[in-house]
Amino acid sequence: MSIEICGVGKRFGNFVALDNIDLHIPTGELVALLGPSGCGKTTLLRIIAGMESADSGNVKFAGAEATHLHARERKVGFVFQHYALFRHMTVFENVAFGLRVKAKTERPSEAEIRRRVMDLLKLVQLDWLAERYPSQLSGGQRQRIALARALAVEPKVLLLDEPFGALDTKVRKELRRWLRRLHDEMHISSVFVTHDQEEALEVADRVVVMNHGRIEQIGTPDEVYSNPASPFVYQFLGNVNVFHSRVHGNWADVGRDGVDKMDNTAPEGQAMAFVRPHDIDIEHVQVAGGLEAMVQDVHAIGPLVRVELAHASELIEVELTRERATVLNLVKGQCVWLKPRQVKVFKVAETALEEGGSGI
Amino acid sequence: MNKRVLPGFGLSLGVTLVYLSLLILLPLSGLVFKSSSLSLTQFWDIASGERALASYRVTFGASLLAALINALFGLIVAWMLVRYPFPGKRLVDSLVDLPFALPTAVAGITLATLYAGNGWIGRHLEPLGLKVAFTPLGIVVALTFISLPFVVRTLQPVIEDIEPEIEEAAASLGASRLHTFTRVLFPAIFPALLTGFTLAFSRAIGEYGSVIFIAGNMPLISEITPLLIISKLEQYDVVGATALACVMLAISFLLLLGVNAIQWWAANRHQGDHQGPERASQ
Repeated sequence: MSIEICGVGKRFGNFVALDNIDLHIPTGELVALLGPSGCGKTTLLRIIAGMESADSGNVKFAGAEATHLHARERKVGFVFQHYALFRHMTVFENVAFGLRVKAKTERPSEAEIRRRVMDLLKLVQLDWLAERYPSQLSGGQRQRIALARALAVEPKVLLLDEPFGALDTKVRKELRRWLRRLHDEMHISSVFVTHDQEEALEVADRVVVMNHGRIEQIGTPDEVYSNPASPFVYQFLGNVNVFHSRVHGNWADVGRDGVDKMDNTAPEGQAMAFVRPHDIDIEHVQVAGGLEAMVQDVHAIGPLVRVELAHASELIEVELTRERATVLNLVKGQCVWLKPRQVKVFKVAETALEEGGSGI
Repeated sequence: MNKRVLPGFGLSLGVTLVYLSLLILLPLSGLVFKSSSLSLTQFWDIASGERALASYRVTFGASLLAALINALFGLIVAWMLVRYPFPGKRLVDSLVDLPFALPTAVAGITLATLYAGNGWIGRHLEPLGLKVAFTPLGIVVALTFISLPFVVRTLQPVIEDIEPEIEEAAASLGASRLHTFTRVLFPAIFPALLTGFTLAFSRAIGEYGSVIFIAGNMPLISEITPLLIISKLEQYDVVGATALACVMLAISFLLLLGVNAIQWWAANRHQGDHQGPERASQ
């Protein structure tokens, strides 16, 4: 079932949580809502689920108006960050809950409930825990039970609110691969909220990057990473070096601000250049369009070597492969030349940046 | 014995035992000892006299009724206080504690005045044929008043503990409000409700001060056992009084034991029968 969101807005007091959001989620897609905390992603998810009401705008499910439907009438599965399992029920009863509370005419027989619950528990590979209570399960197991419970009512849409946020890194990685497989088997539209860009890029078909209650960019994981639409997206998806520069025609004279001030460039010429640390080459000899910098520090981190360089009192981060680092054999205090392989330039007007960048 | 990580076990156990013995065990055993000067038939005659039997009925019946009323309305009050913001909430919240602090005699006199035939409330109830003051109904009113905080204060933290997500989860699974309450919320609250009920019930059984002012204290009709004990003492019938006290003690103890067993069952039935939590890392 497709989801259509038109002009949805939501305020909490003076705080604008969502500002005129338009979003179309086609049937069967796995979509990630990605953004820093407070960007409105969870509010949007809750509005889709009917747990929060929008101040303005519409929500449509498969073309049918659903804005004013109560949560229980929307037929969506919802998975909470902290599982929200019913503590006094066994795992089996938790999963069976959605079937047992159906109206008498729709309720399946006891045998049918049993069969369907056990099928779901097998699907999440936890059928051996059917008689346990939630307090006896690990976090990862609880979240899988919560997922099975949400799937029991055969929802048309599955919504997950930071589903792996409370789990440790290893379990999280396992579960997100498993969620991807599950989605491919079930083929229902799924939306999950996350602030972890790695999670969004790895699992989702499409990523919706949000900031300050607005959508910054919608695209495939590859699109949003390699071709960010805004400085915010650039900074949020991975490490980045920001250069203040002036744009001359089609190329950017990359240099920290105040290098050659005599050019009387118009204000719209003011721009910022974004370069990912792994898109910078280091050379020992001067190169055209290069930038002189001094090596400040060299750290080997796993498969990468991270080099910190100083250029006009600003810090530049470069990531090299181990092979390249061995060839260069950098030492502290050495003077080298930098050459960016890929630069993205944004006009200053668009670059109302904040500290949203997170490391990989 | 192994060295414990937490020191002071021996000391605190000693203090606990001495304290409880001095405060509870010693007076109670004195009571039993005193009544043992009676022969068994004498004891039985006093304990099962007509007036005594009637007073047990009044005491335990009224207490049970009061505790049941408070279980219902205390639940509503606690729910209200936890779940909904409203102006004057803190004031209402502190009002709940009033029966704790108020001298029970004051409560008794006030209630008796209010519910008497010419009192503010009694005036309107009397034409309806409802006499409250100086009847067993008055006892129920007094006991309800003094035992309310026990239910509310026991329930509040438990209701606060129920995350709103639990209700949202139930709603997203298609449960109606009624289903959400009966299947999800009530089972979570039930053990605490039982505890609150027990506390209110035991408090009501032991109540004396407020009841004697509103009960009318008519033998066989509205006389509670504690009052019967007092009147025996006033006639210097100390042995007779201790006999009745022993019966109260025994019944209260059995009742509390029973309710505690139910409570224990209610609190533990959801922990599972398996050998402790096996947190298999999946």
